[in-house]
Amino acid sequence: MPDPIHQFELHPIVPIKVFGWDVSFTNSSLFMLASVLLITAFFMLSMRARALVPGRLQSLAEITHEFVAGMVRECTGSAGMAFFPLVFTIFMFIFTCNMLGMIPGFFTVTSHIIVTAALAALVFLMVIIVGFAKNGIGFLKLFIPQGVPIPILPLVVLIEIISFLSRPVSHSVRLFANMLAGHITLKVFGGFVVMLIGAGTFAVLSPLPLAMAIALTALEVLVAFLQAYVFTMLTCMYLNDALHPGH
Amino acid sequence: MPGPANDRGPGERQMTERERSAFAGRISDLGDRLDKIKAQRRAEEGADHDAALRGRGMAYGMRMAAELVAAVLVGGGIGYALDRWLGSTPWLFLLFFVLGFVAGVINVVKAYERLQMDIAARTGGRLGHPAPDEED
Repeated sequence: MPDPIHQFELHPIVPIKVFGWDVSFTNSSLFMLASVLLITAFFMLSMRARALVPGRLQSLAEITHEFVAGMVRECTGSAGMAFFPLVFTIFMFIFTCNMLGMIPGFFTVTSHIIVTAALAALVFLMVIIVGFAKNGIGFLKLFIPQGVPIPILPLVVLIEIISFLSRPVSHSVRLFANMLAGHITLKVFGGFVVMLIGAGTFAVLSPLPLAMAIALTALEVLVAFLQAYVFTMLTCMYLNDALHPGH
Repeated sequence: MPGPANDRGPGERQMTERERSAFAGRISDLGDRLDKIKAQRRAEEGADHDAALRGRGMAYGMRMAAELVAAVLVGGGIGYALDRWLGSTPWLFLLFFVLGFVAGVINVVKAYERLQMDIAARTGGRLGHPAPDEED
């Protein structure tokens, strides 16, 4: 049976060493670069006409923009629109990486926790910095829920701090786990088809896992979009905490 | 105004019995066909809606699980680190593990409240809205 984990292996394409650190250009780097180029090319091409009445490509670009802008505006109010470029970049990057990963034989960048953790850490640090920059010490109100009696306040604050610190963990694990699990499942069902075909009379059963793999592929495309959406949505919600603490 | 209805001339607008029954037959035939198409479309929409709901449900489920587990891990991690630092093994680990669990439950409750608000906004407040009484 083909190894379902094999698809997540990193191979250096251009080995680079800086002060003993391995910073090789890997297949993961290649697909990150590919998705960035793809996104850039898509927006350059689609917005080239800059028509008042948009064409097909331009409509697609505008719908994407409206979708994310609506999400940011709904979650954080108009104050959050200053962070729209960042949120939009995060959404497009994750979405494109997820979708590229759905093409057979392609590498899924977001199935590595180091990538999702870096993205989550970026959001987490930005929330802390923006929170203190905008509200000063008032940002700490985030840890003090309203209407809590004084005697148990230290306990509640401690719990709120743990809850706050757990955000980047859940933020990164969710995206990574979804992509990893989905791709392993697909590979396993694909492997079943190959095994059954090689198993003599049992080959008549091989369409069953094949049908399952097809159904799972459809589900995975949905998951690829939903997880990009959820990641972006949570980014907006955390940003809202930074902009308006004490809610 | 040209048309088959006018060919009979004035005063003869009434359909004959045969024409009337044929016309009624055609009408009911058309109605049947429309009903069939409508039912098919509704079933297709229902299936699409079902799949979307299932995907959304799975996303929310994974989200709740991640919220709970992450807080327990972080709480336990803080406790473990403090124990290593202060040499108080295992007490702080136990305390922070429990606190982490509490934080996880709070995370899930918060996430669920948010989900309810989303659903309420989408369905016009029919679901998940804290109703003044249970009767309506």
